[in-house]
Parts: sequence; C-alpha cells; structure tokens
Amino acid sequence: MDAFNNFLTGTVTLFSDPIGILIFFGGVVGGMLFGAIPGVSMLTLAAILLPFTAHLSPEHGIMLFSVIYCTGVYGGAITAILFNIPGAPENAPTAFDGYPMTQNGEAGKAVGAAVMCSAIGGVASCIVMMAATAAIADWAISAFGPPEIFALVFFGLAVAASVGAKSFWKGWLSIMAGLMIAVVGLDPVGGLERYNFDMPYLAAGIHFIPTILGFFAVSEIFVQAEKKATGSYNAPKLSVDFPTFKELWQHKIAVVRSAIIGFFCGVLPGIGATLAAFMGYNEAVRWSKDREGFGKGKMEGVISSETANNAATGAAMIPLLALGLPGGALTAMMVGVFQMHDMEPGPLVFINSPDLVWVVFAAMFFANLSILLVGFLEAKTIVNLLRIPFQYLAPLILLLATVGAYAVRGLTIDVVVMFVAGVAGFFLRRSGYSVAGIVLGLILGKIGEQTFAQAMQMLHFEFSGFLGRPIALGLLIAGFITILASIYGAFFKKVPASSSAG
Amino acid sequence: MGKLTKGQIVEGAFWLILAAFFFAYSFEFNNNIEIYKYGATLWPRVILLLIALAAIGQLLDQRKNGDAASTSKIAAIHEDSAQDSQHNSLGWYINTFILLCLPFAYMIVPDIIIEKTGTPEEGTAKINIICGAVLFLAYIAISWRNHVGAILTLPLFFAAMMQDMGFYALAPVFIIGVMILMGERRPTRMAMVMLLIYGILIAFFVSLLYVGLPTGYISPFYDFGTWMVNTFQ
Repeated sequence: MDAFNNFLTGTVTLFSDPIGILIFFGGVVGGMLFGAIPGVSMLTLAAILLPFTAHLSPEHGIMLFSVIYCTGVYGGAITAILFNIPGAPENAPTAFDGYPMTQNGEAGKAVGAAVMCSAIGGVASCIVMMAATAAIADWAISAFGPPEIFALVFFGLAVAASVGAKSFWKGWLSIMAGLMIAVVGLDPVGGLERYNFDMPYLAAGIHFIPTILGFFAVSEIFVQAEKKATGSYNAPKLSVDFPTFKELWQHKIAVVRSAIIGFFCGVLPGIGATLAAFMGYNEAVRWSKDREGFGKGKMEGVISSETANNAATGAAMIPLLALGLPGGALTAMMVGVFQMHDMEPGPLVFINSPDLVWVVFAAMFFANLSILLVGFLEAKTIVNLLRIPFQYLAPLILLLATVGAYAVRGLTIDVVVMFVAGVAGFFLRRSGYSVAGIVLGLILGKIGEQTFAQAMQMLHFEFSGFLGRPIALGLLIAGFITILASIYGAFFKKVPASSSAG
Repeated sequence: MGKLTKGQIVEGAFWLILAAFFFAYSFEFNNNIEIYKYGATLWPRVILLLIALAAIGQLLDQRKNGDAASTSKIAAIHEDSAQDSQHNSLGWYINTFILLCLPFAYMIVPDIIIEKTGTPEEGTAKINIICGAVLFLAYIAISWRNHVGAILTLPLFFAAMMQDMGFYALAPVFIIGVMILMGERRPTRMAMVMLLIYGILIAFFVSLLYVGLPTGYISPFYDFGTWMVNTFQ
C-alpha cells in the first residue's frame, strides 16, 4: 500500500509540474524517434543531452533519461521490423521474425505486436519494480556473483547457437566468430594487447556499434542489392493492419514468460535488455511446437523479444537506484546525471530523495503506457517509409549508418570496419551463418571473459567451486545439455530437407 | 553416407586454418599475469579449440548426412541471398576479391609511393588524388560485368577515401553511385533524390545535432567540407 501511495504522490508531482510534463513528452517522442531512425539510437540522443542535464533539476534529468530508455528500446523495434536494422542490440532478435513479416506483407501486424508487447512488458516491469525494488535487488546482488553471471552468459550462448543459422554447427561457429572479435584489444585482467597486429586502432578493440551496423544494416542492403541485380528482389508489401486482440491473446504465455525472463535479466548488472531479448526469443523457440516457423515471420518471435527487452528496462533501474550499479550504457549515463548534481545513486537515494525515486518510477510507468498511444500513431506513419523505392532508400540507409558509425568515436576507420563487417555479413549469410549469433558473441564475449576471470579468482582457480553454487551449476548443466542435445540432433535426428527453407 | 563437396571442404579448411593461425599468433601475448594464472591466452585458445571442434563436427555431419547436414530443427532461418549461379562461380569470387582489394590498395599504395619517392608534404595530396583516380578507373573496368561485386566495393571505396576527401564532397557522388548500381537511370530523378538525401543529412546531423563529420584534408575537398560546416553548423 505504501508503494501505491508513493506512486500516486510521484504521479501528482510529475503531472503538476509544467516543465516536468514538457520534459516527459520530449523524452517519449525523442526516444521513439531516435530509436526508430536507422543509424542513430537512443544512446545517440542520451549522449547529446547528457551535458544539458546539468541545467535541469536531478528529478528532471533522471526522469528524462529513464523515459528515453523505455521508449528508445521500443523505437528500435520499428527499424528492426521494417528494414532489418535493429535500433539497438536489444532489438536484434526482433528483426529475426519482424523483418520476414514485413517481407510477407505483415509489417503492420509486426509493428502492432511490438507496440502492444513493449507496453505490456514495460508496464509489468514497472509495477514489479515499484513493489519489490529493495527485496529483488538484495536477492539478485547476493545470489548472482561472477560465477552465476558467467554461467548465465554460457547458457545464453548455448541456446543461441541453435537459432538463426542453417545448422547447429554454423550457429556455433557464428557465435565463436563473435567471441573471437570480442577478444581483439586489451585483455580484461592484465591489460595485455591481443591480436592487434601492430595496428593502433585494434589495440582499443573493435567497437560493437560499427560492427552491428555492418552486420545488420549494410549486409541487408547488399543482400537486397544482389536480389535486385539478379531480378529476384521483391519489394516489401505495405500494410497497416494491426494484430487483433485474439491474435495477441494466443501468445499470452509467451508474453508472461518473456516478461519474467526480461525482468530477471534486466535486474542483473551488466546483462540488461540485450540478453533478455535474446533469451526471450530463444525460449519462445524452445517451447514452441512450430520451431521451423521461427525466422520466417512468426509473430511470437516479435512478441517474445519486445516483451523481454522492455521488461528489462524497469528491472535495470533496480540495481542502479538501489546499489548504484548500471546495467548498460544508458543506465551508466544516468550515473553521470547523478554525479553532475553531486549525487551518487545507491541506497541513500531512497532515504534522501524519495521524491526523485517515485517521480522517476511514475514517469517510467506512464512512458511505457504512452508507447501504446504514441507508438500506434507513430507506427501508422512510419510504416509508409516502405513506399520509398529501394534504390532511393539504400543510399539513405548507408549514409545514416556511416554517420552512426563515425559519430561513436570520430574515426573514419570505424566506417571502414562497418563496411568490412557488411561484406563479411553478406558472405556469411550466403553460406548459412547467423549474423545475429556473431553479434551476440561479440557483445557477450567481453562480459563472459571478465566474469569468468572474476569467478576463477573468487573460486581460487578450482573449477569444483562451481559445485557449491547451485544457480551457476544449474545454468552450466542446462547449457551443456542444450549443446549435447543439439549435437545429438545434428547427427542422429535429421528432419527431411523439404521441411526447411534454403 | 554422403560425399563431401569441394565447397564443404574449403569451408571446413577455412575455419581450421583460421583457428590454427590465431592459435599460433596467441604466443605473441602469452605473458604471465600475476593475479590471473590462466593469462590472456586461455579464453581465446578455448574459443579456437571450439571453432576447430565445430568445424570438424560440421565436416563429419556433412559426410554422414550429405545435403541434409545443412538443415537442422530450426533450420534455414534466413533465406537471405539470391545465390544466382552466376554469383557462385570461382571466376566471380576471384573478380569480387580483386575488386574488394582496390579500396585497401588506396589506403596503402599512396603512402608507399610517398615514402619511396620522398615526396615533400605539399605533393602528397596530388599522389593521393592520382592513386584514387587510377584505382577508381580500375574499379569501373573490373566491375563492368560484376554488378554485385561493384555494389559490395563502392561503400568500401567511399569509406577509404573519406579520411582524405571528406564526407561532404564524397557523399553526393556516393548517393548517385549507389542509385546507378541499384538500377536507377533517370538523371533528373537521381539529382533530385541526391539533393533530398544530402539535404536531410546536413540539416539533421550538421545543423541540428552539430555532428562533426570528416572534412578531409586534401584541397579542394577540404575547402568544400569546411565551407559546408561553416555555412550549416
């Protein structure tokens, strides 16, 4: 009841302040737009706005970033569905089925499902966040040390190997290729340079944003261009038919499951919405009776990914506000906003600034609700981008991606890396490899290695130490079983070739 | 029991050679880390071992199951490419490989010429422009009958030249180049679309967001880039 009263107080404070309302709606629209524009993301907007938050009150600054976070995660789904360009890594699994739906003439249904499920996942996450922040933060932080996070990363990668590629082997090789790209640069423990080939650029590692833009956006342009050159290009069919309530209701279990997965992943520092989205998608595949349908335009794929990534946004605020631990890039920027106002996020914020906490919670709740309204209006208009002929859209997307890659660090070599990744993605996709697997390996590789090193130091370099940690052990066993089952399936349980595309 | 095709053997060999090469290179950073007894090499070496095992597993699977090995329970999710037979021949791969080397040649060759000839600093821009022009002509000649190779290479050329010639001067040429390669042939339409895309980018990123895009350093490209920044930012 206390939580409800606090929420009401936060809501009244938020909507009785004209500047607060202005900032709230600016954040909603800005997050959605930046999430939906190919080549830029909510992180671009947040980075641009960060210096200006010094002129805002702490409540307004943190509230603005939390609203951008909620709506930006949703906004990235639009480009993932319409152009196969995820606005952020957490929208990558949305593209697996969202883009095929667009190609099948169901863009409206895919966007509608994304709008609805992003809102559901986000609102559910906010409610749990408000009701149980302290207890969940205590449990997650005490139960999930480096061994558990490493085991969770291993499990996530093991499951992801069976999705997105033509065979388990190609899926596994895709993930390993991503992990190897992540190895380039400094090692996380001793700071030794690895695989830099005496090139200063490689010493700092390969940045994931140009790589993601290359593997997704650029390789997609190349694939479509090849189809155009060979006369097999089919323009995406335009539709603004949103899914019916009945269609969505059929996926209620997927929504609930993904919301739980998203919340669980979001609450863990350093894991966040990306793993949530991938795990939400993977579990949808695992529990589905129609596994072969995934990747060919199945609405459940969009629903699972979008519910999970938005469910992670509310959860990611728990370690940030309760313990001062950011869960990802945007929450790390929020720490910067706190510091600009001489504040430190952590348990004291709840005692010293309860108004701030509850205004932020209320703003996130209403930001997720506003996805329903503003998202539908935005989706109705933005789907019309598909009317633009591909020969005009292609240079625009390539140049937006160029600006996006360059703007990260101001290095033209990042643009070269992006186009090299695009060419590599083109050839890998031709051969049945999964670019999503590579990107997942790249993003989780650094977390995996770092947590493995911390875990081994913690366990005094004894692998048997995992036996005394039931959660880590359970996740490792589940991961190994997944891999062994896939190997067994690859050798002994072939499906007829006709049941699969390609 | 199927028989391995040449393509499958090449694919398997590629991964095994890649793993062997990176394993050999890992000795370059095989130093002790005081607080971490596994050092910086354990993680990449385990990944390389798994790559080798997966490559061997794939070869065994393909040998046992033939064509069916390319499918799995959740198989063939991305039916991505047109994979026209014309774009799968050895000749096409060689032609495309040569094309893809041209942008990297632009990044290397001018520096070599400048070093070998001892060209003074004021003459380096001329060498860059001449090398760029020659390599771009070679690109047009080689890609004449390889449309897909041309599409893959053009963005790399754009990126390679951006450091020297800047975004502002190259972007209009790049937009028109992509449109031509995508099959657009109407000059008026191309000019209008080019101006529209260029205008949107400049208005949004340069005027509104103050994103500092590369101006290049070779005149007259640099002068044009600086003029654009001064005018619109």
